[in-house]
Amino acid sequence: MDVFIQLLINGILLGSMYAIISVGLTMIFGIVRVVNFAHGEFLMVGMYGAYLLAAKFGLHPYAAAVPIVLLLFAMGAIVQRFIIQPLLSADEHIQIFATVGLSTALVNLALLLFGADLYAVPASSVQRTVMVGGFSLVIGQIVMFVCALALVAGLHFFMQATPLGRAIRATAQNRTAALLMGVRVDRIYVISFGIGAACVGLASALVMPLYPVSPTIGTYFVLTAFVVVVLGGMRSMYGAFFGAMLIGIVDSLSGYYIAPDLKEVVYFAIFIAILIFKPTGLFGLGRGTE
Amino acid sequence: MRKVAQAALAAAFMLGAAQMAGPAAAQQTLKFGALYPFSGGLALLGDESFRGLELAAEERNAAGGINGKQITLVKGDAVDPNQAVGEARRLTSVENVAVIFGTYSSSLSLAATQVAELAGIPYFELGAVSDPITERGFKYVFRSNATAKDFSVQMVDAIPNALAPALGKKPEELKIGIIHEDSLYGQTMAGYQKSRAAEKKLNVVEVLPYSAKSVDLTPVVLRLKSANVDIVLQTSYQNDTVLFFRQMKDQGFKPKAIIGAGGGYSLRDTMLAVGPENMEGALDVDFTQYKTNPKVAPGMEEFLKKYKAKYNSDPRSGHSLANYMGARVFFDAIAAAKDLKADSIRAEVMKVDIPVGQTPTGWGAKFSEQGQNTRAVPFLMQWQGGELVTVFPPDAAVAKMKTGVGTN
Repeated sequence: MDVFIQLLINGILLGSMYAIISVGLTMIFGIVRVVNFAHGEFLMVGMYGAYLLAAKFGLHPYAAAVPIVLLLFAMGAIVQRFIIQPLLSADEHIQIFATVGLSTALVNLALLLFGADLYAVPASSVQRTVMVGGFSLVIGQIVMFVCALALVAGLHFFMQATPLGRAIRATAQNRTAALLMGVRVDRIYVISFGIGAACVGLASALVMPLYPVSPTIGTYFVLTAFVVVVLGGMRSMYGAFFGAMLIGIVDSLSGYYIAPDLKEVVYFAIFIAILIFKPTGLFGLGRGTE
Repeated sequence: MRKVAQAALAAAFMLGAAQMAGPAAAQQTLKFGALYPFSGGLALLGDESFRGLELAAEERNAAGGINGKQITLVKGDAVDPNQAVGEARRLTSVENVAVIFGTYSSSLSLAATQVAELAGIPYFELGAVSDPITERGFKYVFRSNATAKDFSVQMVDAIPNALAPALGKKPEELKIGIIHEDSLYGQTMAGYQKSRAAEKKLNVVEVLPYSAKSVDLTPVVLRLKSANVDIVLQTSYQNDTVLFFRQMKDQGFKPKAIIGAGGGYSLRDTMLAVGPENMEGALDVDFTQYKTNPKVAPGMEEFLKKYKAKYNSDPRSGHSLANYMGARVFFDAIAAAKDLKADSIRAEVMKVDIPVGQTPTGWGAKFSEQGQNTRAVPFLMQWQGGELVTVFPPDAAVAKMKTGVGTN
């Protein structure tokens, strides 16, 4: 029983990491309608940024979050403006190829600049564990859990209560109608892509103390992030959050009770089953909304 | 304008003439191929491996070369198996090298050796560990280094030979957990470990494969913890090694010993990412590293001096030393051959008979019919105070083996 509860805790904490990485992808996927295969590489760029700030300026990765979030916002906006925007009216496949190309280019750029070695930030209190009632929790993971909740709540508020958020929702619902209502759709896309990238920037600063960075680190997370986004119903922030929790818990339990190398089989089986019975995902708005 | 053109033409002719003169001078040199990954993701250790060969060749040339002829190394850049094939073809057919040395990576070696074998050019493998390289019945493929099976056998044998006495227990009382990443590398190594453990009648309680790209190994850690595993054998790359050590600490799992299979375990960056205090006591089976008793590895200290003089840094890993050792053995065999025909070289390689403890890696050299060196034995090493030191066998050791992992 003790092991079960510990696994549950580990699963929820793992889920919060998946959530914080997936929220940005949901944003880009749901609003700009671009399948961003370079999402994992955005994470990688953010992590190298956090590493450099920590190694060169002695900044704690959490303090590095501020410049990293701004940097990633700019990077996302530039990618949207100069790579995706010219292709918006082109076939969807072309956009996918563009992001795949971007992903490969970024991985190889990192290999060129940093080599294949991995880098870790100096040990800090974030890596320490606290014991609560006999169960161990890593401080950095608790921070991630709180941040994931705050990020989802914050984005929800932003989307519901600000004029810009309303414009973004309007654009997501119907691009043409939004354009007719005077929304500058192109600019909304640039901003949304920027926000999505900024979210992953926040994620990278939180992930950095727990995982060393290497050029291929993005591929470790990105497949799960896609599963989470689809499971959550493509554009629902809450959906992404609960999808991530579900995957985290399934991951943790099946790794222990079945086998560590079969956990992906289990969660993909659940994923397929959910899509069969609820094709628009857990929090999708029903058929025809996508 | 015309004058300029004429001058350029004249210069071109002279350049051509100079090149024509080249082959005449080259009669006194021997061309050997050096096939390594010099660019791409494997480049770091590929280049490190090549340095060992380069140092051995320079040393040989300074001592008069091979039968009075200077060795010229012709580089081939093998980034992936396809390119390894292409470069091996270029070396054998365009550059007309007499023999090829290589390769660091097993997948590259498996591809390139096929080309060399078909061309009837001897191929000397100095660093790749995959067993099948010398199990395919090739006549002109020879390997000086230990194989994956040798590594696995060493890892398992360390339990009855070194760990059980140190822990004051009988080997069969210890509970063993084998964990490995689930690609071909991990599967192969774990397979050999399981069969060796069965031969030695050891008590393996868990065998857990996992994906090297996993971002959460806590299920693995908790399985080992629930089974009260005493000794963990891990075959891993770098990221998963770091993750395992961190999460082992997070989850409060404290085995009596962990033995790694080289790979991620030997790299300094792994130790730095895990933290020296957490890596303390981790055991590792790998190619000979530099903290080894020089008495069993004669020539290692001179190698280190030459390396520092030429490259102005310490070796980045033990790969250069292993390549240096192998290259020296094979240079001697080539020098002893009556000509450079593949069969003459093979005959001399088969005659090589160096006892263990007589080369810079501490290995001996005696080649099987398959071309595999049967006297290459990897040592057992341990991380102590941020250094990887040899702890077993006793005559190679420079420090006493500790038990337990981590300092807290």
